[in-house]
Amino acid sequence: MNKKLPVLCPSCSSELKVQSLHCDNCETTINGLYHLPLLLKLDQKEQYFIILFIQSSGSLKIMAQKLKFSYPTVRNMLDDLIKKINKLQTEIS
Amino acid sequence: MIKKLLNPFVYIAGSYSLLIGLLIIFCTSVIGYYSSIHFPDILSVKTGPDYPVMYHILQSIANWLVISAILYLFAVVFSKSRIRLIDIFGTQALARFPYLFAALIGFSNAMDKFGRYILRQLLEQGDPVVMSAGAITIAIVLIVVTLFLTVWMVALMFNAYKIAANLKRGKLIITFITSLILAIVLSAFINNKLIQIF
Repeated sequence: MNKKLPVLCPSCSSELKVQSLHCDNCETTINGLYHLPLLLKLDQKEQYFIILFIQSSGSLKIMAQKLKFSYPTVRNMLDDLIKKINKLQTEIS
Repeated sequence: MIKKLLNPFVYIAGSYSLLIGLLIIFCTSVIGYYSSIHFPDILSVKTGPDYPVMYHILQSIANWLVISAILYLFAVVFSKSRIRLIDIFGTQALARFPYLFAALIGFSNAMDKFGRYILRQLLEQGDPVVMSAGAITIAIVLIVVTLFLTVWMVALMFNAYKIAANLKRGKLIITFITSLILAIVLSAFINNKLIQIF
């Protein structure tokens, strides 16, 4: 099953933080309080978009061919993602 | 399927849509020449006197160029995205697809006859026109179909602009409606000049 990483609290919608990390091999557990990296705060579709963008060497034309969307549709998706990342960065700082 | 009919621009834009769109505009003009259907501004569909085929072609091209140019100017001014000229002109050309069917409607003389019938009945203008109940029904159905095609085309034009310009909410709606009004006025003016030439 492909589990979705929750980034917002289901109770109050505040941003979640990492409290515990676990090693499956030696069963070591680390407890602390860590912020989620910015990329993990994006949803799965947006993360896939970024991976595809890198794999396409940043070419929106190649991405449009791969996604079978028109060029302006892909450009709009990128612009929306840039806007979201800028907003998240502002919230962090 | 319905999504593709209302918003094909998610999948098609740029030079591909321009090529298909120009072919559609050309076919619409030629069919309009044979069926005596005119497009005196970017939205209107009217039956009218016979004009050379070149008049029909220039009229359709002018309608497409006027709305595309105005939308492009608004997109450049108001959008924060990098706007491509070919996306605006290409998608607007493809958006005129429903009027290919509107040009076909002219092959039935029911609408033209109904127009003259109404003029005679309400304003007592022109020669007396006799129309059966069946012919009146056909004419009304064709008028409703034409209205539906106009609504469909405006929806396509709006979605084309939304994708090509990447505008949202208030900016999108206000600039689109303003462009539509400006284009109706300008295209009607150009059409009057074309009539004088031909």
